[in-house]
Amino acid sequence: MSAPDPTAARTGVAVRVRGAHRVFRSAGEADVAAVEGLDLSIAAGEFVAILGPSGCGKSTLLRMIAGLEVLDAGSIAVGDGGSAPKNALAYVFQDAHLLPWRNVLSNVALPLELQGRAAGERRDAAARAIASVGLADAARRHPAQLSGGMRMRVSLARALVTEPRLLLLDEPFAALDEITRQGLDDQLRALWAATGMTVLFVTHSIAEAAFLAERAVVLTRRPARVVLEHTLDLPAQRDAALRGDARFAREMSVLYQALRRGNGEAA
Amino acid sequence: MKRRFVENFLPPAATFLLTTAAAEFGIRAAGISPLLLPTPSAVARAALQHSPTLLPALAMTAQAVAVGLALSIAVGLLVAIALSTSRWVERAFYPYAIFFQIVPIVAIAPLLVIWFGYGMRAVVAAAFIVSVFPVIANSLAGLLSVDPALRDLFRLYGASGFAQLWKLSLPWALPNVLTGLRIAAGLAVIGAIVGEFVGGGGLGVVVLEAMRQQRTDLVFAAVLHAAALGLALFAAVNATSHFALRRWHSQETEP
Amino acid sequence: MSRLFGPHLVVAIGMATLLAIVACGSKDAATRDAAGKVALALNWKPEPEFGGLYEAERIDAFAKRGLTLELTGGPGAPVVQMVEAGKVEFGIAAADEVMLARDRGTDIVAVFATYQTNPQGIMVHAARGLHSLADLFAAGGTLAVEPGVAYTKFFEKHYDLAKMRIVPYGYSIAPFLNDPTMAQQVFVTAEPIAARRQGADPQLFLIAESGFNPYAAVVITTGARARGETKRVADFVAALREGWRGYLDDPTQANALMGQLNKEMDAETFRLGAAAQQPLIEDAFAKQYGVGAMSLERWATLGKQLQELGLIDAPPAPQDCFVQVEALGSAPQQPR
Repeated sequence: MSAPDPTAARTGVAVRVRGAHRVFRSAGEADVAAVEGLDLSIAAGEFVAILGPSGCGKSTLLRMIAGLEVLDAGSIAVGDGGSAPKNALAYVFQDAHLLPWRNVLSNVALPLELQGRAAGERRDAAARAIASVGLADAARRHPAQLSGGMRMRVSLARALVTEPRLLLLDEPFAALDEITRQGLDDQLRALWAATGMTVLFVTHSIAEAAFLAERAVVLTRRPARVVLEHTLDLPAQRDAALRGDARFAREMSVLYQALRRGNGEAA
Repeated sequence: MKRRFVENFLPPAATFLLTTAAAEFGIRAAGISPLLLPTPSAVARAALQHSPTLLPALAMTAQAVAVGLALSIAVGLLVAIALSTSRWVERAFYPYAIFFQIVPIVAIAPLLVIWFGYGMRAVVAAAFIVSVFPVIANSLAGLLSVDPALRDLFRLYGASGFAQLWKLSLPWALPNVLTGLRIAAGLAVIGAIVGEFVGGGGLGVVVLEAMRQQRTDLVFAAVLHAAALGLALFAAVNATSHFALRRWHSQETEP
Repeated sequence: MSRLFGPHLVVAIGMATLLAIVACGSKDAATRDAAGKVALALNWKPEPEFGGLYEAERIDAFAKRGLTLELTGGPGAPVVQMVEAGKVEFGIAAADEVMLARDRGTDIVAVFATYQTNPQGIMVHAARGLHSLADLFAAGGTLAVEPGVAYTKFFEKHYDLAKMRIVPYGYSIAPFLNDPTMAQQVFVTAEPIAARRQGADPQLFLIAESGFNPYAAVVITTGARARGETKRVADFVAALREGWRGYLDDPTQANALMGQLNKEMDAETFRLGAAAQQPLIEDAFAKQYGVGAMSLERWATLGKQLQELGLIDAPPAPQDCFVQVEALGSAPQQPR
């Protein structure tokens, strides 16, 4: 498993979240504060995992960064400008969410199609993205003919086809079995290393956060605030053997304690 | 493929033959007057004997149904798209769409003849009125059920409203549209026949004439022709659905 | 598999139920008979064509004979089927319906013919200057008639209808009033009068004038009853004839009664209708043999005509089609 090449150009963008507030109001029910006064800084090209208990607002935070959710107060700056230019961002959802009537190639090419790129260009870029997740053989198949893991890889390829500078992932591998999940973790890290994009990975798996990220941000339960920002003290080269290592268990323990603190339990 | 043929056609065919045989012997045994309930063989004989009348009438009714149904699809889909654009629009105008569902066609058929004159136009109008609502209701349900994550995806890449409609909502709603069409097809036949009772032409008039002339067997034969028309349309929609959706669902795909 | 059998099972059960209901139908009439109740199905709303019936009821002609009249049916009622199934003892139908039913194997007979001359006709706008049905068919236009009536086939056989556009009659004169080139079927007591009252200038051609003249507003019953319960039928017909005598002499009170039941027709229309139908009910034959009397010759002619028109395979024997009831006096059993 390769580490990021320090000589490769860092194509990723930085993200600054300042005092983000988000309250969900529904008629006849109490207001739900999902995110309250949250500050977060992410450097260009970083791989950051966001950990937190269920329902704490981490998905809302990710959606706010993606521009899919409005802020009630505070600001989010992506890159140099205010909000991200349209082709710099990509988002991977919890489920693959592919269009069932299109084949794999057509699904992966969708973002480029929506951005108005020419057909030939789209096809080539999609083919490259499909190859990068190891699904070149399945290009003509339809989602119904793929396994859950393969569909998630297609979703990943779709996210990568626009060569994003910021990749947001919301618990993308949670529904998959352990072996498939670990395989995809490896693949994701390899892609990050190859492209130098900034990756924000939301998960509630401590092991996954520890394995993937350079830095982990642990959130409290709702409304979300930062409990701990912890740079993982692990080698840049991460392989399967690492999971059994004592260092790994120690880092996991650090994160676990922070989670418990954030959840309001005794540390 | 052969196994599927046997599985799908044998049970209904067997039941049909059994029911027909039971009816034939039962009606004869009970000595029921042919004016009240003709035997299946009498109905078959009437169908053959009067085919010079029945087949052109069937063609006329089929034509009116085809046009009425085509209008229902076109108008129904457009209305559903319009209603799906905003909650406000939906709440303001959907009740008027429901009007098409509840208006009794038998009562307004004479009005249709007054507005459109005797003949094909009034019959098409009747077929349209009874069949448009299922298309609207089902298509709207499909359009409103689009996966929100996919909507987010389209928004993320800056897709226009039209792109969302054409590339996401409409294909997504296709199974629902076809469901609506399945229902609309049968209703269009009913609407056309009722329209013909008042506006003239087709199987509707054959039914009225046969009733007037005490030919109950011909009444049944005409009704069976109408039912066959409805069945043919239903089968056509099913075939379209199978063909269009075969890649969507794992059951339909050959491994 | 069971998913496919389910609906078919429902159909089979439904058919069996229908058969059972139909087969049990005749029980109803039996219970009614015993109570002295007589059920009769009308084929239209209360109008002058049923005047004798309502008058007979009013003057207790039925009660006098131990009968209680129960009227049922209405526009569109399947009278022949109701009589056949035993739902009613008597019904009102047209003579050609009797012959058609007999041709289809049903033993229905006539016991009383209200109209000696058929009161159906075709109404046109007088402004068109037509003098006969032949003129109308030569001129063309739209003709609204009830689909399947026998006289349409008669016209098709004896005239060239190429110019006519035949459409179903919706029992409303509105299309006629709005279209000066329109013609429509009428009943002499109803539509022409209504059209005149609405300011139109209708001209009437009776279908009887073209040579097709079936008895109309005929009282029918099953052959079994006519032959088997002769006293009951005779009593009924005698009461009815009394009622018609009274109605022909003075229709005012019966009209008022019917007007209560049929709000769509006003008193003036009732009066004009009763007057218009008088000569069609009581002509020379009826004067001699009684209102409601029938002749073999008329039935024989009708039989031949219906066969020519292809509506029946073979004409039934005229004497099978009707029963000349004693109460009507000595009506001829031989053709005149």
